[in-house]
Order: sequence, then C-alpha cells, then structure tokens
Amino acid sequence: MTGPLRVWSLPWIFLYLRHEVLALPGRSVALLFVLFLLVLPLFTQDPYWLRVLTLTAIFALYAASWDLLSGYTGQVSLGHAFFFGLSGYVSAILGRELGLPPWLTVPLGASLAALAGVFVGLPSLRVRGPYLSLVTLAFPIIALGLVFVFPKITGGELGLSGLPRLGQSRLQEYYIVVFTFLLSTLFLWKLGGSRIGLFLHAIREDEVAVRMVGVNTVRYKLLAFGASAFFAGLAGGLHAHFLRVVGPDSLSVFNSIQPIVWSVFGGLATIYGPVAGTFLLFPLLEFLRVVEEVRMLAFAFLILLVMRFLPQGVVRGVLDRLEETCPRCKVRNAFTRRRCRACGVELRLPEKEVVA
Amino acid sequence: MFRISMSKWLTLGGLAVLTSLAWAQTLRIGVVGPMAFVQGAHTWYGATLAAEEINRAGGIQVGDRRYRIELLRVDTNEMLSVTDAATAVERAITAQRVDFLVGGFRSEAVLAMTEVAADYKRIFIITGAGLDGILAGRVDRNYERFKYLFRVSPTRSSDLARTSLLLLGEVVQAVRQQLGIPRPKVAILAERAAWADPLVETATRLIAAPPPQGYGAEVAGTWRPSAVATDVTSELTAIQRAGAQVIYTVLSGPVGVPFGRDWGRLRIPAAPVGINVEAQQETWLKATDNLGNYVATLSSLAPGVAITPKTIPFITSFQARFKEFPIYTASGAYGALYVLADALNRAGTLDVEAVVKALEATDFVGPSGRIVFDKTHDVTWGPSFTTGLGVQWVGNRMQAFWPRNWRVGDKVISYAGVRPYQLPPWVVEAWRR
Amino acid sequence: MFAAILVNGLVLSGIYGMLALGFALTYGVARILNLAHTAFYMVAAYALFFFLGWTGFAGAALLGVLVVLLLALAAYGLLLEPLREHEATVLIVTIALALLLQEVVLLLFGGHFRSVPALLPGYVEVLGVRVAQQALLALGFAAAVLLAAWALLKGTRLGLGIRAAAQDQEAAELVGISLSRAGYWAVGLGALLAALAGLAVAPMATLEPHMWNPPLLVVLAAVVLGGLGSLPGALLGALVLAFAEVLVVNLVPGGAFLRTAVALFIMVLVLVARPEGLFGVGFAEER
Repeated sequence: MTGPLRVWSLPWIFLYLRHEVLALPGRSVALLFVLFLLVLPLFTQDPYWLRVLTLTAIFALYAASWDLLSGYTGQVSLGHAFFFGLSGYVSAILGRELGLPPWLTVPLGASLAALAGVFVGLPSLRVRGPYLSLVTLAFPIIALGLVFVFPKITGGELGLSGLPRLGQSRLQEYYIVVFTFLLSTLFLWKLGGSRIGLFLHAIREDEVAVRMVGVNTVRYKLLAFGASAFFAGLAGGLHAHFLRVVGPDSLSVFNSIQPIVWSVFGGLATIYGPVAGTFLLFPLLEFLRVVEEVRMLAFAFLILLVMRFLPQGVVRGVLDRLEETCPRCKVRNAFTRRRCRACGVELRLPEKEVVA
Repeated sequence: MFRISMSKWLTLGGLAVLTSLAWAQTLRIGVVGPMAFVQGAHTWYGATLAAEEINRAGGIQVGDRRYRIELLRVDTNEMLSVTDAATAVERAITAQRVDFLVGGFRSEAVLAMTEVAADYKRIFIITGAGLDGILAGRVDRNYERFKYLFRVSPTRSSDLARTSLLLLGEVVQAVRQQLGIPRPKVAILAERAAWADPLVETATRLIAAPPPQGYGAEVAGTWRPSAVATDVTSELTAIQRAGAQVIYTVLSGPVGVPFGRDWGRLRIPAAPVGINVEAQQETWLKATDNLGNYVATLSSLAPGVAITPKTIPFITSFQARFKEFPIYTASGAYGALYVLADALNRAGTLDVEAVVKALEATDFVGPSGRIVFDKTHDVTWGPSFTTGLGVQWVGNRMQAFWPRNWRVGDKVISYAGVRPYQLPPWVVEAWRR
Repeated sequence: MFAAILVNGLVLSGIYGMLALGFALTYGVARILNLAHTAFYMVAAYALFFFLGWTGFAGAALLGVLVVLLLALAAYGLLLEPLREHEATVLIVTIALALLLQEVVLLLFGGHFRSVPALLPGYVEVLGVRVAQQALLALGFAAAVLLAAWALLKGTRLGLGIRAAAQDQEAAELVGISLSRAGYWAVGLGALLAALAGLAVAPMATLEPHMWNPPLLVVLAAVVLGGLGSLPGALLGALVLAFAEVLVVNLVPGGAFLRTAVALFIMVLVLVARPEGLFGVGFAEER
C-alpha cells in the first residue's frame, strides 16, 4: 500500500473487517444482523413480517435505553413506560394541536421525555436501590391517573387515534424505524464504551468510591436518566405513529416490565444484550400465535428456563462459550484460536507432560 | 380398446364436470376477539353456529358459484394489548388471507384493528364494541377509507344510553308507585371510562327534569369507581348514607361483579338498574356468590323472550351445541354471518365495492332484532329495529321486564314472555311508610 | 362518614398488612423482591375454590396452604436460590413466575369470575356503617395471624434468627446463622402469610386471573414506605396506604379510580422526606 491509510478508504475497511470484526463470532453475528435488517426487504416485502420487525426494532431501542439507565448505572427503573408513553402522547397532542408532522413531533416528544427523565432522576439523588426503583414505578401510574382525569386532552381510556403516519408506505416506515434504531443504538453503544460509560459502570459498582475520586456523580446519574429517557421517548413516539394510536396501554406496568425482561434476558450493561433479547423474544412471542392458548405460558416458562441456566443473559452466556479473553493483553479471541491475535500468547496452557 | 377408452373418457369427463359443480370454493372469514374471555368465545360460537347452518344449507350462492364458509379463529388478546390486537388482525389478513373480518370487543382495540382493516380494504363487521366513534366521525367524514366497516351489535353507546334510561324510568316509576315516594332519589354509579361520561351527563339532566321530558326525581350523588375495581363497599355505604332508592349503574368492566356481590351482601336499600355487562352473563349468580338477585340491566337476549321469530330457535340451538346461554356477541356474530351471506348473495360478486353497496341495503331480521344500517353503517335503534331488552335476575333466573307496554308514538310494544319489574324486598321493607 | 372510613380502612389494613408482612419477610431475609408474592395469594384463593368442590372449608383451606407452600419452596429452591447473586435476574424470574401462575390459572379456570361462598353471610351495622360479616371475620383472622407471626418472630429462636438475618446478613452469618436455611424459612413463612391472606380474602373477593396486579402495587408501596427490611414498617405502611385509599374513595367519590395513583404518590412523598422509608434499615454497608 502506498500513501497513508485513510479511515474511509476501501483497504482500511477490508482490514478492519478482517482483523476486528470477522475475527470474533460475536461481532460477525452483529454485522450479519445489521446487514439482515438492511437488505431483508429485497427478499420479502410481506407487510406482516415488516410489521413484526419494525415493532421489534422499536422495542429493542426501548430496551437498550433502559439498559443504559439500569444496567450501566445500576439505577433500576421499574417505570420506564413513563417516558415511552409520555413521548407518545406529547407527539400525538402536538400533531393534533399544532399540526406538526411526525418527524418534528417525535423528536420533540423525546426531548420532553428527556426533561422528564431528569425530573424523575432528581429523587434518585436522595433514594437508592430498591427505593429508587419503586419511586420510578410510581411515575407512570400517576401519569395514568392524570390521563383519566383529563380525558378531553388525552382521550381517556380510548387514547388518541388517527395519528399521522411515519412514512408513505410500510416499506418506508420500516426503513425509517430501522435507521433510527441503528443510529440510536450505535450512539448508545459508543456512549456506553466511552469515558462517560466508564463512570456509569463505576457508579453502579460503588458510588461512594467514585465520589471520593472527585467525580460529580450527580451529573452522570442525571445524564443517564436524561439520555435513557430520550431514547425511550424516541421509541415511544415511533411506536405511536406506527400504530397510529396512542393509549393508556403505553403507560402500563406491563409495558414497564417488557424492557426489563428483554434486557435481562439478553444481558445487562451491554447494549447488544437488550437488542439481542428483544430480537429473540418479541418475534418468538409472535411466532407462538400458532399455539394461542399457551402462548404466554410458553413464553413465561421459556424465560424461567433460560434465566435459570444463563443468568448473565443469553448473549453473555453464548459469547462466553464462543470467545475467550487473552490472559496477557485482555483482547477477545475466538475459541478456535490457540494463540492471541494481538500479542501471540498461548490462550490455553498446554497439557503438563508427565515426567516419569 | 378405443371403444373402452371412449367410455372411460366419457365417464371421466362426466365425473370432472360433476365434481367441478360440486366442488365448492371457500370464503375465509376471520373471527376476531379476546378468545380467552367469554365475549370473544361467544363471538366464535355464534359465528360457528351460523357458518355450520349456512354450509349445511349448501353454502353461499354468489353469482354462479357456491362458496362454503371457512372460519378462522383470531385471538387478539385485546384486553391486554392494543398493539397485539392490531398485529393479529394484520396477520389474519396477510398471512392467513382472510376475506372478511367479524368480531371485536374492546373499543380502543377495535379502533386500531379497524385502521388495519381499512388499510387493506377488508370488510369488518363489528359485533362487540359499542363506542360511537368507531363509525361516527369516520364513515361519514372519510367514507372512501372507512366504508368497509359495519356494526351489527351492540347498538352504539348513545343508543345503549337511551335504552338504559328507559329502564331507569321504569324503576323510578315502580318506586314512585309501590313505595309512595313522589320524588325518588337516584344515585349514579358509573365506571371511570370515556364511554360512560355522556351517559352520566344525560342521566343527570334527565333524572332531575320534570315530566314528561324527565323523571321528576333527584340525583343523590355520582360515584365513579375504576372499571377494574374489586371492592365498591365504600361507594355503596356512601350511597346508602345519601338515602337513594335507586342506583343507576353504568358498568361494563369487571367491577360489575363486586358491585352485585357487595350490594347483595350488605342489602343496600336501593334498586340497581342500568348497564351492567357482567350481569348479562349466566355466570352472574355464581360470580356474585348468589347475592346478585334483583339486579337489573340492559341486555340483548333473555330466556324465553321472542324478540323475533329467530330468537328462540337461536337460543335453543346455541344452548344445545355450547351448553351456555348466549350473550350479545354470540347473537351479533351469528347475525353478522347471515347479513354478510345475504349481501354477497345480492351483490352476485366478490368485488368488495359491490359487497359494501349490498351491505348498505341490508334489511335482515336476526335473533336480537331487525338489522338495518344507517348512514354511518351502524345498526339502527328503534321500536321496529333493535333496542335490546331490560332483564332482571329474579329467583336465580334471568327474566325480561322491558319492553312491556312501552308507548312510542301511538304504538305500544311488548314482547311475549316479559314479566313485570320487581323491587328487591329489602328495598320495599326499608322505604315503605 | 368518619365511621365508614374507620371501619373500611381497618378491614383493608388487615388484608394489606398480611400481604405486606409476608413480602417484607421474603425481602428482608432472602433479599428477594418477590413480585410473585401476590400471585401466591391468588393461587391460594383459587386452590381454596378448587378444593371446596371436594371437602369442607377447613380441609380446602389446609390443602390450599399446602399447595402454595410447596410451590413457593420449590420455586425458591430450584430457581431463586441458585441465582442469588444476580439480583436483576431474580427480579425477572419472579415476574416470569407470576406470569406463569397467571396463565396456568387462566388455562385451568378460564377468565370467568369465580367466587367462593362466604363463611358468614350477611352484614352487621357497626357505628351506623354496614359491614359484611365476612369482612369482620377476615379482619379478626388477619389480627390473629399477625399476632401469631409476631409471637414467632419475637419469642422463638427461629424468629430471632430470621430477624437477625433481616437486619444484617454478614453479622448474622458471623454468629453462625445459616443464611440458606433462614432463606428457606423466610420464603416459607412469607408464602404462608400470602396464602393465609388469600384464604381470608377469597370469600369476599372475585377470583380472576389478574387479581394479583392491584395488590402487588400496594404491597410494594407499603413495604417501601415502611422501610425495606423492617417488619413493623411494612405493617405501618399497609395501614397508611389502606386508609389513604379509603379516604380517597370517600372524600372524592368521582376520583375513586385514582386509589392506586394516590397510594404511590404518598409513597414518593414519604421517600423524598425520609429516603429509607419510615423505619428503614440502611443497606449501604452491605457489599
């Protein structure tokens, strides 16, 4: 190669793919997954499947946002539906009162949700652990009560319907949602891997120690709340406009529990965990329609089984079997390798020879 | 050999012609509803009964072809999730390829489901959800998109209100006459739900207005429990303290059962009447621990009451086949299938636009009344159309008390098998001077 | 009106108190936020309904309690104890367990409402307020059960061990209390209390597969309000929230549907003022 390697040059991309992505099964699967989402419509445009995948992407974003708050920072939120539903309602009401299109109202709704996130985060400064979780639980329920107290604005238990569409066709909506999902997840992933993410991990492990080092934990905790709420709101707005209906279901306790189940199933404090969890569980639940009566039963039973044997989450459990960490340089390697790809050290100690 | 082949060909040819005549094509009809609940289950049962009858009679004749009906059971899980319901309907249309849809129960879910049906231009006949806004404001304002939606049951909420208020009038009259109270007090107990708000407003006005427009009574107070409340003793004790003789109930959710049970257990001296969907089911007494006697409610069907010549045969075959007394979603689905078959017959083609036109011209007598659609594709309410019945639980049985000598214009309407309304004995005891 | 509030509030406190105490026991000792707690209460009520078809009330009650105990101990032993270190996973497992129980009940009994005949039909007038006799029986039963639980916890060695483990797990282990056995005892007792609450309430309530939802929220709020890990706190929390509910229904009849929202709002207020709940035990020192 002559000349300096630029990041966007084709050779660089090939090298990157070969040495960083395809070297590990986990990352290869992630690449395949992204490609699959992008090129699926070339193979099938069945509206039902597009619908399932669009909803899955929306919920995966929702789950990833929960993970940022609860998995990384350890502030377990039992009321995440508050942000999801609030954003949906705000987007619908703005659209109705001001006539704004969805590409404006959805980000506006998400921004308001972010503010709400900071607001909910304020009590977190005083209460910890399970107490905090229950405080977060209270917010969507109180919001639900307010929805019923002001039915003229919120539509009461019927919600608001006839919301404007996200795009002209099902295919367009699919791509809008998928792109938003991929970009947001990338952002969350980068955030989690950045210095900020490091602080969040540290706050979860031992907040007192972090404060002793001089870090302003208040700022980071509120940041986690705000960012998490923003993306949850984004998911909520997309959901409302995709279904064209927003109702009190979006604030329900069940809706708060969903991202928790998906995230824990996939693996906490990773962004790929919740995404994987959602993409595994949500289509499964759809698929189980063939045995309608036992659908929820089978679903619950499956969760119990998997959690019992893979308590770290499915993705972690699988990755731990497929990948190993180099003992010297800590780089991840595929299990098929004998030597580390970065420093050349033997990954497993050789069998001891028996000296007679 | 040629001769044998000839006769063989002739027989084969003859058989082919015969089989192609006998071979019926199928029409796939999706029955949608919350199948784990009685409302959904009865939708399925009613549709099954109608489909079997129609198929036994040779199927539906559309133009020069005969079609047999194939029903698909679509469990929407609408009680728990509106998203789920809409997805289920989309799946039914795209993956399961249904030609028509019948059913629906929970109004907010039906709003979403009908959006999907409208997207795909599939005819959807609603048999269980009463919200006015499912059709009003849609079929009239955006006819091209929503013309595929029709409703056969229940009558829309505002019409349910009219009937229930007529029932209230009956009971207020009974209190006035039998207890000698010139100005009875009526407590309003309505679940906290959007559909109940207009009824509460109308009732409040009507109760206090002097006759003949109103009932010349007094409103003792308005209580609004949650639709899923499991305990209404506080509300009932307050109603008793307020001195009411009548309770006007507007309850469609599960709260109807605790209401009946607590009311009966505490023997609140006020007679309940109005809408109580739980009390329409034959499991009412078991659910209320046998304390639900004397509760009165609006309903579609009652044992032994022939609203139309088809009522009793329908009830009898339903009970024989499914061992349960049908609720309104059953008679609704039954009627819907026949209405659809009749419209297909008249249209002579499967082209959806023609079928919609044919449906609009429907005039069909079903088990719960005469079905004629108005401008918004909703079932018409009125004395010679569909009004529903007033039923009351007496002696552990459901009996009808309305319409009995119902004066409309210069007509007096009474159905055979209707008995007079009875005040609960402890109410009589508490108030008779 | 005051009388109505007092009487209805007391009855409700008894029920919530039993549920809250059981929940607090399970959390305090086994450190498990058992979101399936009220699902056990539901199973007990349905088991009573089912067995009443075979034997009298006493027999059915006994069988119901046994069923719930077996279920709880099996769930703890097979699912929850092996996952002790993964708190989030434990939470999901209890949710999944609750959903599983709900679906099983739905499959076996359908979505119809069921009822269990009352032991004492009829009503009495107390302070001018009509109260169902069954409600008074439930209140008396709740009081008896709570007293018995109190006697157990304060007066026996087992109770001492449980209380010690609830207060400080590390110190308890240091003095030789087997945390594993204490965990089993606490889960068993917690489930027993939930089952007894189910038996007491069944004759008054309507049985349906989602009946475990509303009490769960109230119980969570009550236990947090009183302070996690504190048993008297749980009872006090239950009392406060029961009266809050009854007050809302009586003073704001049009707002009766806001009961749960108000209960949780009160919880938030108390927590902002006292972050550890009313009698809370701080867990900061535990690693």
